[in-house]
Amino acid sequence: MIKVSNGSCIRRLGFRSMKAARARNAVAVLAIALTTVLFTSLFTIAASINYSLQQENFRRAGGDAHGSIKYISWEQSEQLRRDPLIQDSWCRLFVGMPHDPPFHISHVEVSYIEPNGASHYFCTPVEGALPREGTDEAATDTRVLSLLGVEPKVGAQFTMPITLDEGTSHPRTIERTFTLSGWWEYDSAIPGNNVLLPRSAAEELCALSNGEQDSLTGVWNLDIMFKSAIGIRENLSAVLENYGYQSTEAGAENYLIIGVNWGYTGDRISNGLDPMIFTAIVVILLLIIFTGYLIIYNVFQISVTNDIRFYGLLKTIGATGRQIKRMIRQQALLLSLVGIPIGLLLGFVTGNILAPVIIAYLNYKYTFVSFNPWIFIGAAAFSLLTVFLSCARPGRIAARVSPVEAVRYTEGGQQSGKKGGKRKAAAGASLPKMAWANLGRSRSKTVVTMISLTLAVVLMNLVYTFTNGFDMEKYLSDLVATDFVLGHADYFRLSENFRSADQALPEEAIAQVISQGGITEGGRVYGQEGTIQALLPEEYLRQGISIVYSEEELDSVVASREHVSEDTVAGSAQLYGLEDFILGEINVLEGDITPLSDPGRNVIAAVYAADDYGVIHEDDNCFKVGDTVTLRYVKEWVNVDADTGEEITAEESVARWNRGETNFVPRAKVYEEKEYTVCAMIEIPRALTYRYTILGGSKLAMGAELFRRDTGTSSVMIYAFNTDEAASTAMDDFLKDYTESVQPTCGYESKQSMTAEFEGFRSMFLTMGGTLAGIIGLVGVLNFINAVLTGILVRKRELAMLQSVGMTGKQLNTMLVYEGLYYTMLSAALSLVLSAALGPLVGALCSAFWFFTYQFTVLPVLMVIPLFLILGILVPLLMYRSVNRRTIVERLREIES
Amino acid sequence: MAILETRGLRKIYGSGDTEVRALDGVDLAVEKGEFAAVVGTSGSGKSTLLHMLGGLDRPTSGSVTVDGRELSTLKDEELTIFRRRKIGFVFQNYNLVPVLNVYENIVLPIQLDGGQPDKGYTDQIIETLGLQSKLKNLPNNLSGGQQQRVAIARALAAKPAIILADEPTGNLDSRTSQDVMSLLKVTSQRFAQTIVMITHNEEIAQMADRIIRIEDGRIVVRG
Repeated sequence: MIKVSNGSCIRRLGFRSMKAARARNAVAVLAIALTTVLFTSLFTIAASINYSLQQENFRRAGGDAHGSIKYISWEQSEQLRRDPLIQDSWCRLFVGMPHDPPFHISHVEVSYIEPNGASHYFCTPVEGALPREGTDEAATDTRVLSLLGVEPKVGAQFTMPITLDEGTSHPRTIERTFTLSGWWEYDSAIPGNNVLLPRSAAEELCALSNGEQDSLTGVWNLDIMFKSAIGIRENLSAVLENYGYQSTEAGAENYLIIGVNWGYTGDRISNGLDPMIFTAIVVILLLIIFTGYLIIYNVFQISVTNDIRFYGLLKTIGATGRQIKRMIRQQALLLSLVGIPIGLLLGFVTGNILAPVIIAYLNYKYTFVSFNPWIFIGAAAFSLLTVFLSCARPGRIAARVSPVEAVRYTEGGQQSGKKGGKRKAAAGASLPKMAWANLGRSRSKTVVTMISLTLAVVLMNLVYTFTNGFDMEKYLSDLVATDFVLGHADYFRLSENFRSADQALPEEAIAQVISQGGITEGGRVYGQEGTIQALLPEEYLRQGISIVYSEEELDSVVASREHVSEDTVAGSAQLYGLEDFILGEINVLEGDITPLSDPGRNVIAAVYAADDYGVIHEDDNCFKVGDTVTLRYVKEWVNVDADTGEEITAEESVARWNRGETNFVPRAKVYEEKEYTVCAMIEIPRALTYRYTILGGSKLAMGAELFRRDTGTSSVMIYAFNTDEAASTAMDDFLKDYTESVQPTCGYESKQSMTAEFEGFRSMFLTMGGTLAGIIGLVGVLNFINAVLTGILVRKRELAMLQSVGMTGKQLNTMLVYEGLYYTMLSAALSLVLSAALGPLVGALCSAFWFFTYQFTVLPVLMVIPLFLILGILVPLLMYRSVNRRTIVERLREIES
Repeated sequence: MAILETRGLRKIYGSGDTEVRALDGVDLAVEKGEFAAVVGTSGSGKSTLLHMLGGLDRPTSGSVTVDGRELSTLKDEELTIFRRRKIGFVFQNYNLVPVLNVYENIVLPIQLDGGQPDKGYTDQIIETLGLQSKLKNLPNNLSGGQQQRVAIARALAAKPAIILADEPTGNLDSRTSQDVMSLLKVTSQRFAQTIVMITHNEEIAQMADRIIRIEDGRIVVRG
């Protein structure tokens, strides 16, 4: 075939014939815009969540550099930072940390950071500036200032202790006075606080270092930004290599330690995007494509059907099928050019309204709205994909039109002689029957329109079924044991939890709360994990970790654990210390808990946890009443090679870690062993537990006093208490203020806040689902309007003819209303059937949420029926009125074109 | 040599009891430059014949050869391209593209083929058909006679091997019909254009060089 250039002519034809179809264009543009709105808001929400997660991670990681090269000299940093791979870099000179009160409860680092790096450490003064060279100035955050009791005011003087050479054999603490040059707000998401000094002052302090090998005082870190966050580790290694260094052989002359910011690493992000969310996004994407397809396809299908003569004619005078397809594609593209930008804009607005709703639920401290250009590129691409998918079949139909068709249509000299004509006559001339026959004329249009209407209703019904099934009683009974629970903020964070003494609740906070009054009863739960081991049966460990390891891995993993005998290993344990009030709240499964309160008895309770359905499994803990438990209080850990069991140095461990090798495990080196007798098996209400489990580890509880005595620690995990009715609101207000402004490292939960959180959770789903169903509903209605309008337009002459042979205007309107009602009522019926059928299915799926109780409901469908009635009546009437402004004769005469 | 030739052309719709033999063995040859009229009553098969000649529809059996090419050997797309180069159509209903103006309509087949209109030639056609003052008009601003003249101009513009006219005067009053027929005749002569016209009107048919009668799907030889 000869390749011919006829593009411009096809373009003109397409463009002109498009201009002739204004109504269709308006509907198509709206449809494309709505589809784009759905895509854009979905992407905006997803990107915002991801971005907020990343920002939160950067704060937890303490900075947003891609990576760093650690513990080097200034000369080394000057050398390394010249590498062309590096986009941006800044150095940090570490001085020391204050430890003496009031700094014992916080992590503060004193250092010099190059000015361009300050913002990367989230140290941008809101007032004042970074310290000037050659002065006694320093800049810090409001938390450090409040610990010092200094008003955040530029020029204020403050004196603080700084411990140098920490971790060496001779650390020493000095005191210095600084003038505040600038300050920024404390951010509780950032685990450490910074005090920034000018370089000269930092170097002067570092000069006081004892110079021991392990000292961090006086070492430089080089933080690096590469061109992209992909392959940070490889890039860092490449930089080292370029200057003759390496990070894999610990102990070698040219060995340097590198760090990759885990806030960037792919697996961390993919952890955030768990398979359930991923599946949800894919399902919603497909749903949107389907929704868009339903309407855009319908619009094009109807317009092609109506213009079939036109395409036949083009075929006759020599347009090829390919040219006609191209013409239709070009029209679609042009309509997209208008519709997509509108949709992008509206979708971005919608997404920005919705994203904070979800992010608030996810408990991120920060809500960042992402302006990532990929949102728009992606949404536009998906919309275009939908548009092209949608007009593929109409294009094929137009292209396949037989040229004779055009001639045949003209031969009759009449409107298309559709097959329905005969049936109509046979059915008699009653208006409802005529209307019914009219629907059957174009079945695909009728069916697509109905599905489009039905989709939104069914979706709404599913969302409602889902949220309606949220069972507050179930939720609260499991999550709330007492009116209030106070703990370290990390304890309440799903991603952090209580893991070390750093995350203990300060006694001072408990004292503050008690001083508020109104507390009827309360008690502490002490906790310790990570520095305690329990001797466990090997089989129990194997069972516990079997869900994360394959059969082959399992043997070597179990073997790598320290065996104290053939079948006994040193395993992990979560140890509780329970005060009497808490003992009163727990559920005793077997045995007697009264001996727990007596520290002289050396007894312990085995803790069992119920699964999501409230069932307690016997193998949840390896200890039963009467068993002897051996606990190890570990003072010092070492790493050993997983295969040989030989001790390896800390440096070697880091080096192996940097090489991506994980063939080493920690082992207790110095410890004290004690034995206890199990006096009871208990269940602690979920709200008062660690809220996470260690696979293959044991859960054990002691009385508070015994806990403090034997562990030698007194880390309070939580303080749980009840208040009298009258004081509860005041307490809630106090705690809200206290945990936000006074002691941001603390967090709390109250029955009230849990109720609110639950409602928030429910309303989030309602908002999301409602918005989605609402927009899809809008698409459905638009589709319906288009179907009715085109149905009237295409029959203009036929309707005039009906009037000319004696049908009154009223009868005509009635017939059209019947048609409209058939559409909407059939859709309602279909929705009812589908909702009833899908409801139990959703119920079964959602039972995965433990607080979900399935209740059958078709309430939303029933509520939509009146709306559909009104639509079914009004839409045909309004559409007909808009085209029926001329006399019958004029309309009869009108030449079809 | 004949520019248009059919051999044993048959078109049968349906089968068994409902079988309709629209064409039943038509042998026909039209010479280059000839202006032939096919006359027959309604249902005689004349429209079916025209569809076959124009490659709009495929015969049940038999062959159609236009300008040396046998149409049945062409695939659909090839046939379309062959049609827009070799065959011009004039319809009873004019079938102009309503969104294009007169000039654009006339040159559309050429442009669809990716070609450039031959300016001198199209001007000549436009002048012959008296459309100079209407070039910018849209078709629905024109009278029936004017629209048919545009359709004729469009058929001529691509310099086809033959023009097939299907009741070109069917929608026109007798005065205008005469005009259009004269124009067809004149153009046939001036541009040495082969024209096959279908009509049921004896009077109109008389203006052609040759009359072919068709009855019940067969050609009737009568003088």
